Amino acid sequence: MKRLLLHSKLTLVVRIVLGLFFIAAALTKILDPPGFAKAIWAYELFPAWSLNPLALVLPWLELFCGLALCLGIWIRAAAWWATTLLLSFGLALSINLARHHPVDCGCFGATTHMSEAERIADMRWSLLRDVGLLILAVQALWASAPIRSATGSRPVPVPPS
Amino acid sequence: MPHFPRPTALRFIVLAGMAGVMALISNALSSSSRRLAWRGSVVALPSFTPLVERPTLPEQVPRPQAHEASRPSVPDRPTPPIPRPGTAPSPSNPQEAVVTSPIREISGQEAWQAFQAGVSFLDARRSAEFVEGHIARAWCTPVWESDLDDRLISFKAARRPGSEDSIVIYCSGGDCQDSHILAAKLSSEGYDHLLIYRDGFPDWLAQNRPVEKGQP
Repeated sequence: MKRLLLHSKLTLVVRIVLGLFFIAAALTKILDPPGFAKAIWAYELFPAWSLNPLALVLPWLELFCGLALCLGIWIRAAAWWATTLLLSFGLALSINLARHHPVDCGCFGATTHMSEAERIADMRWSLLRDVGLLILAVQALWASAPIRSATGSRPVPVPPS
Repeated sequence: MPHFPRPTALRFIVLAGMAGVMALISNALSSSSRRLAWRGSVVALPSFTPLVERPTLPEQVPRPQAHEASRPSVPDRPTPPIPRPGTAPSPSNPQEAVVTSPIREISGQEAWQAFQAGVSFLDARRSAEFVEGHIARAWCTPVWESDLDDRLISFKAARRPGSEDSIVIYCSGGDCQDSHILAAKLSSEGYDHLLIYRDGFPDWLAQNRPVEKGQP
């Protein structure tokens, strides 16, 4: 089972899919930082001073993570960031779902106006997608874990597939 | 617990650093409608709870004095023709009415009356939406864009609104909060008769009211 989950072809597909998702999500936000700042503000979880720096830096971080995953460079660091970002987003979405506060996901730029019920349903789908992507990120993290040698404790990094 | 070796930790930090540098460069090169200020925010509040008064306001009730010190001075300005669209005498004792907020939501009909009376309209949506279509004679004041303060200065210089003058603010209706954010900002600057057009531009379009297109 472990061999199957860590198969080189599966790992490659996971990295590419995850990377492309991150690149697609990043591009729309990079093109419109004010729209992303508004999306972050709508979550009502962040202090006002942090909105603009987050809206400016996070999309570029997503882009670099996506590129790193697709190109097979710094896979483990990018997978760590992907996992962190997906966990943070899932947490933010869950908090707002729990308090029944409808927000625009903001994942791929601003969406059209929705009713409250539509927005809540959209948030549930976004959370489900986030969990799916989180599984991919964990797989990428697992597959890129350094292998410890039999004789010593020095880890042997797995070459990128 | 997965191993987090030093090179990975370093690369983890470098990725964040690269993102920060690219954010700096891209923000510096962006147009004003896509630029953000690194410090501060267009929203003064960490989260917004609408401070909106829905019932109509009787004329006899004195206005709140909370912003007296910070109000812009308006010497000898005449009373605007219809500064309070939708204002109607209270059926009960007007003295019982309590004014709690300088911000009030108005309907499409009240917005139309205000428009006919020459009240200033501020469009809080993004400038790209403004270009596609806006209420005739409205001012483009997108709350999420970096040049909001400059646009507000231009508006104030041109219209010289006093603290008692009505200003209608609108965005896209529905769950759009941009007009509320702008109202909160103007309220903090001393304007105490801010009317939020609840259903916003989509309603104005549906009512076939005058619209304009083009650059702000």
